[in-house]
This record gives sequence, structure tokens and C-alpha cells, in this order.
Amino acid sequence: MTSPGDGTPVKPPPSFSPGVARNASKSRYPDEHDATVSLDAELAETRTGSSPTSSLPATTAELAIRSASPQSRSGRSSTPQLARSSIGSPLDGRFDGSEDIRSLIIRAFSPTVAVHASEDTDELVRNKGFKGGFSELIRPFGETVPGKVVIRDSIGSSRAWEDYGVRFVNLKGFGEAHAGRDPGRDSSLAQMEEVLEKQLDSGENSLGGPISSKDVLGLPATTPLCKLFLRQLLSTTPAAPHETFGHPVASVISISSRNTAPLETLRQLYAESSTGDRRLPDWVQQEYLRYYVLVHDEERDDIAESTRLYDQMKRHFGLHCHLLRLRSSQCVVTDDDSTQVPSCEWLSPREHLSGVGEAQTLVDLGTDGTPYLFDSDVTAIKSFIRELIVQSVIPFMENRVAVWNDQVASRRRGISGRFMSMSRRWAGFGSSSRSGIGSSGGNSGNYDSTQNFYSPDSPEAILRKMADFAFMLRDWKLAASTYDMIRSDFGNDKAWKYHAGAHEMCAVSMLLNPLAMSAKIKLESVDQMFETACYSYLTRCSDAPHALRSLTLAVELLKSRGGSATESAARWAMRVMDFGLVESIGQILFMERVAACYASKTPATGAKWGARRRKAGMWSILAADQWLKAGKPSLASSCLEEAERLYAVVLEADGVFPMPEMQAFVDNLRHAVKVEYLEARGFDAPDKTPTEEDPIGTEETSEKLDKRSHRRSLIGLPATLDAGNLNMSPGARNPEDPPNDDFERA
Amino acid sequence: MSYYFTILSPTDTPIFNIAFGTSKGGGDGIARFRFPDTAQYMNQFIIHSSLDIVEEAQWTNGGMYLKHVDTYPPAAAYISAFLTPSGARFLLLHQPPQLPSSGSTSTLGASSLLGAAGSTTRASSSSVAANPTSPQTEEAVRQFMNEVYESYVKTAMSPFYKQGMEIRSPVFRSKITAAGKKWL
Repeated sequence: MTSPGDGTPVKPPPSFSPGVARNASKSRYPDEHDATVSLDAELAETRTGSSPTSSLPATTAELAIRSASPQSRSGRSSTPQLARSSIGSPLDGRFDGSEDIRSLIIRAFSPTVAVHASEDTDELVRNKGFKGGFSELIRPFGETVPGKVVIRDSIGSSRAWEDYGVRFVNLKGFGEAHAGRDPGRDSSLAQMEEVLEKQLDSGENSLGGPISSKDVLGLPATTPLCKLFLRQLLSTTPAAPHETFGHPVASVISISSRNTAPLETLRQLYAESSTGDRRLPDWVQQEYLRYYVLVHDEERDDIAESTRLYDQMKRHFGLHCHLLRLRSSQCVVTDDDSTQVPSCEWLSPREHLSGVGEAQTLVDLGTDGTPYLFDSDVTAIKSFIRELIVQSVIPFMENRVAVWNDQVASRRRGISGRFMSMSRRWAGFGSSSRSGIGSSGGNSGNYDSTQNFYSPDSPEAILRKMADFAFMLRDWKLAASTYDMIRSDFGNDKAWKYHAGAHEMCAVSMLLNPLAMSAKIKLESVDQMFETACYSYLTRCSDAPHALRSLTLAVELLKSRGGSATESAARWAMRVMDFGLVESIGQILFMERVAACYASKTPATGAKWGARRRKAGMWSILAADQWLKAGKPSLASSCLEEAERLYAVVLEADGVFPMPEMQAFVDNLRHAVKVEYLEARGFDAPDKTPTEEDPIGTEETSEKLDKRSHRRSLIGLPATLDAGNLNMSPGARNPEDPPNDDFERA
Repeated sequence: MSYYFTILSPTDTPIFNIAFGTSKGGGDGIARFRFPDTAQYMNQFIIHSSLDIVEEAQWTNGGMYLKHVDTYPPAAAYISAFLTPSGARFLLLHQPPQLPSSGSTSTLGASSLLGAAGSTTRASSSSVAANPTSPQTEEAVRQFMNEVYESYVKTAMSPFYKQGMEIRSPVFRSKITAAGKKWL
């Protein structure tokens, strides 16, 4: 669409009048989006229709569940029927992609709730088919709290969230995960790569479908693989001293009605978790909320008995109690009211690897890997979780934030606090006696430099915890200001990991803050913070997983911000590749991300320049090349298609590159992808022309590889519409193009 | 420092291509790009992708010389652009030599060659080549572009040359080479 005349400097710039242009671009959306959607549906249909592999629906469905949050699930489904019915308004579709990623990131930082169950509870749950005990039973349900969760922020305004969730972790596993942290940590990136590889191998056929499904506007959608990567990355970080997201906010202590000495057991469990061998490491603050649950066995025990016990518990422990009524027998698929247990969304790579293997063996045995529950059980668990979160966890966190804000943060914000921190910083001049306070002898004395953490009741640790709480309560304004307040302190104390973490989260919460969205946010300062975080993580602490996490968050959040931030996002993605933080598949994924970043940059209003189509196209081509080298021709082919779609707008003729070497390379790539794709599909005839193939093959390949028909149908609509709508002088432009060419050639 | 210079017609068709290396500080004037020999198409890809930026910069920058417009970080390739009134664009890709420290991962191969490249860097650190975004480099590229522009205008005014045609004149090529030697 970029006509030759457009690129010349002699031509006056196109009209800038924003009102008309905006209208024009809006009216352009529906047609473009219709074309893409119908194409996609068609494509998906032929694909599902012609590939009779039985594993495909299962995997695709599973992917659809994982790749979308419930409220946006209909927006990007992989089945053709849904895709057709979910067309909706085009603008919704446009924001879907970035909102989806934002929601994913927000949900990644949800409060952790530890689960500490008595032996008899675990036994009861194990009978129901959950080997991991009580925590495994409730874990999938905690990830999405049913209904809206209302949270009040620091200034007293409340906001309802639909996608709130918590993570349940087993208190037993918490200590172990921390003990086994150091060896497992280096390999966590390698494990992630392994998960990706597995996903690719298992879903080689099915992944082709969702990956090629484009966003309705033609912007490249986030591929499921990329989301998997992001989710893996965000759930890979174990609890660490320098950030409190993994530290339990509350702990669920549960007993069952089978217990003979219920109150004693509860006391014992409490004692175990606060002083005994289940005690959390020293760097975790021990004053977290305890929540007592009585699991009632509906089939064996008397409810009157349990109610009496429950009343007793309420008298002893106050309001944070719940009576959970479950049936103790195992549910199978054939039962009348069986419901499938949702799969966990946030599995760490390690769990993924072991979990995937488990499911496979189960499939071999002929049983389904996913457990089932009775409807009544599901309802009971859901209402338990809702009550736990809405009535106990959220108020507790709000309360803590308010108290800390009042007692610690405001003191720091005040003039005397500033003076204190300043005098402390320069205390080295006069009094060396100050350094005798702490065992570390460091700058502030609060930082224990031998064990590398602040003690949990030092003001620095409390402020960090308060900021994390505010972040988890989605009060990003307070979080950002708190992180901002403490980040330099950590630098003074040479607590580099804290320093990096505070910078990272400060930038992230600034980017997440929707109020700053409209205002001109200082992108340079955000960039600077990411730079510092990355340097501290990587160079000072050689902590690659965290560095990768902060850079990936930078990429995704800057990309979702749009405008000039997308270029910065692309730059960070290139940095990730440059640092070598990711391995082969990750590299290719980041190439796709760079392409997506550039592709999402839209032209300035009314003008035809400002987009980054060529850059996006180049990165897509490079990614296609890499996918081909990695032996994934179907992914390569979808990248290539993507690239052609991007180039279609800027290239003069259909798929003809002006530069000879580029043309040769792209032609070779196209051919190689075609050959490999056919080979992978079982056609061993690279030199066969599509017309000679059997009917199935013809259908496949003509959809998949014959780019011409695609591109023409794509380019056709926007081109004519664009000339009519976007252009301020349609009459002048259209007749001008052909003569222009003639003039140059003649 | 290696250079790849392209003149693009208004329809983005390349009408002239030349690759050369620096001649300053003992350079031998041979281009050594960081890409392996099999991947020389990357130069064209980078140049082509920078047109996005050039198209944007031409409306925001008053001059004909747009200075350094774009960077391709993975290969440390820098693009400078120059616009002519007829719509042809001069694009210069310059790439500083790979540092000897990172040379071990280089695809260039022969260590003797790498050593030579390293010494070139050191020798030319005071001149143009060291920092592609320094004012000196900008100035040198500007001089080069102006000289090329002069030759281009003379060539384009030839009665046998039609706009948009590939420039095959050996005189023009030698003039560009001389300009490259003189300034870059």
C-alpha cells in the first residue's frame, strides 16, 4: 500500500487532520477483520477436517483452556466454530491480545497461601484420587476465585476484579523447595526449555492451528507457545529472600472429621508451623494469617458432630474458620454428577516435566489423567475458597498494608525520615560506632551481608513486603511509590538482589498502573530501571532466571503500552537474545516477539509512515529460518505466512522483493519450508507439484503453502479501502500510481 | 569498520550497491561483515527494514542528510541515510569490526584475519571508525554522502540514463570507491 510516490521526500506529507483520519481507520477495521477471520476459520476447518489424528482435539482443547483466562476465553479459541461465533466488536478484539498478556502477568503475582493439612485430611483426600493430598485438591480452584473480588486501595476507593486468584502451596513442599533451591535454580532455565520442547513435540500438529490464528485485526496474536513460555517463566521463581511474592500470606490449617483429637491436632499443627520443623526460613516473616478448616466427611461421619466441633473451633480461633463438606469416595467419569477438575495453570517447569510424564503413563493404561470430582464437592470447595479469600486473606492484606503504610512508610516519607536516612548514609564520617550495631557492620546494619538478607522486621524488609502486598492487591500506584522509595536504600546497603528486585518491580508497577497510561509516562526512567535491575541481577548476582523474568516483563508490558514503547520493547527482546539468557527455542520465540513488537506499532494518525512493517517482516522471516533449522516446518510456515502478510503492505508487487539477494533468500526459504513440511506430513516427493498430489494433500498444501491466494485476498481489501478512506486525496492518488511507474521506466 | 552502500530508487529498487571496508588507520578497504559469507543477504534485509525509519525520519527532519537513523543491535549495524530531491535514497550501513575479545565466537574463521581486524580497531580508535554514532562519524558520513550526491547528480543527468535504471557506470563506481577511501 505504500505507493512509490509516498516514500519520496518531494511529496507533501499526507494530511494530518486527526478527526477524519481516525474515523477512516475505524471504518477500515471491520472489513479487514472479517477477511482475516473468515480466512482463519476456513483454514482451521480444512486443517481439522483433513487431519484425522485423534490426539488433536484433546491437545487443542487443553491448549485453549490454558492459554486464556476465563473471561476472554471465547475471544481466542482454536476451534473454528467458536472462532466464527466470537467475532464480537473489532475493538474488543484488538485489546484482547495485550489485555490477555497483562492479565497473565498480573495473575502471575498473586498471593501465596500455604496449606498445612493433618495426616487424616490428606488420607481422606488421597482416597478421592488426589495423591498430593489436600493442597493438590484445592490448588486448581484457587487460581481463579469465582465471582468478583473487591479490593480497597490505599486511598479508600475499591475496585472489583474478576480474575483474582491465589496460589496454594504445600507447607511441607515449601521448606523442601527452598532447601533444594540452589541446585535446581541453575537448571530451571534448562527445564523450561525442555518443557517447551516437549510441548512442541507433543503438539506438533495441533500447535499449527492456534499459532496461525491471527488477531482479528491482523496484528499477530500471542502464540500459545509464547504464553506457555511466559507462564513457565513466571512460575519458575521459587520463594527468595529479596521478594515476598512467594512468601505465604496466609496458611490454611486443616483437620478432618475423622480426627479423634481435633483441637489438639490443630494446636500441634500451629506449633509445627510457627516453631517446629515446619517453620519457614528466617527471612520469611512469621506473622501470617492462620485459617482453620474442618473437612467433614459426608459419607462416614455425622454432621451434627462436626457442627459441634466447628462451633468449638470458632470459639477458640475466632472468625477465620471454615467447615468444608466433602464426600470421601472417589469420583469416576461415569458418575452422574462428575465434574472434571480444572488443570493447574501455574505449574513450574519441574512440575510440568514430572506431570507430563505422569499423564502419559496414565493414558497408556487407558484411564484419563485428569481426576474428577462430584458436583457438590466442587461447589463446596469453590465457596470455601471464595470465603477464604474475600473474607480473610484480602482484608488481612489490606489491613497490613494500611498499618505498615501508617507506621513505617509515612515515617520514611516525612521530613525527619529523609533526614534520618541521609544522616545514616553519611554517618561514616563521624561515628564509626554505628557500624557496631549489626553483626554485618554494613552501611545500615539491617542488612545481614553474611547471609544476604534483611531480617523480616527491619524497616527495609517491611517496606518491601508492603510494596509486594500492594502489588498483589493491584494497587500499583502505592506499590510503585514504595518501591521507588526503597530502591536506593538497597543500593546503599549493597544488597544487590534486593536492589535489582525493587528496580524491577518499580518499573513493572509503573507500567501496570492504568492511570499513568494516559499521562505521558517517562519511558526513559522505566528503561533506566530495567537496565539497573538487569545489571544487578546478571552481573552482580549472576541470577539468570530473574534477569530473564524482568526483561521479559519489560518486553511484554512495553509492547502492550503501544506507541513508541514498542520499539523499546523490541530492543529489550534483542537484549535478551544478546545476553544468551534463552536457549534455542527461546531464541526463536524472542525473534517472534520482536516481530510482534514491531508489527504492533501502528502508523501515526492519518500518516502512512510510522509503522514498522518491514522490520516486523524481517524478524518473521528470520524466525521462520530458525524454526526450519530447528526442524519445525509447520511453525516456520506460519512465520513465513506472517512475514508475507506484513510485507504485503510495503512491497510493490506480490511477494517480489526489490533486492535480489533478499529475494533469493526468501525464495529458497519458501521452497525449503514447503519441502520439509510435505516431508513431515508424509509426502516424500519434494519435486511434485501440488496438482499431482492426492486430494487430501492438495487441500492441505493449497491452504498452507500457496501464498498467492492468501495474500491477494488479504491485500485486496485493505488496498482498495485504504485508497478510498485513509487517503485524503483518493482521486489524486489512484490515477497517479501507474503513470508514476511509467514515468520512471520511460 | 565495514560499509555497505546502497542507492534505492523511489520504488525501493536498489540501483547501485557497493561493499567496502575502511581505509583509515591502515585498513585495507575490504569489507568484513559479521555475517558468515552465506548470510550476506542480511545486509539487504537490514537496509530494507530501515526504510521504515527513513520514511518516518524524512518528515521530521528538514535536511537531506538524515544522519544515523537506525540500528540493528544483534549485528551492531548502523544505518545512515541521505535523501535526494528526486526520491532516490542513499543508505549506508556501517558495522564496526568485531572486538577481538568476542572474536572467538566469530564466524569469520581464520585467527590471523581476526588479529588484523583487532589491530585495525586499535589503530583507528582515534579516527572515524571507532564509534559509529560519534559526531566525527556523522560528519565523515555527511561528507561522503555529499560527494556521492554530486557524482549521482552528474550520472543522473547523463542523456543515456533513465530514472530508476541501475547505475552500471564504472566511472561512478570508481568515484564512490574514491569517496569511501577519502572519508570513511
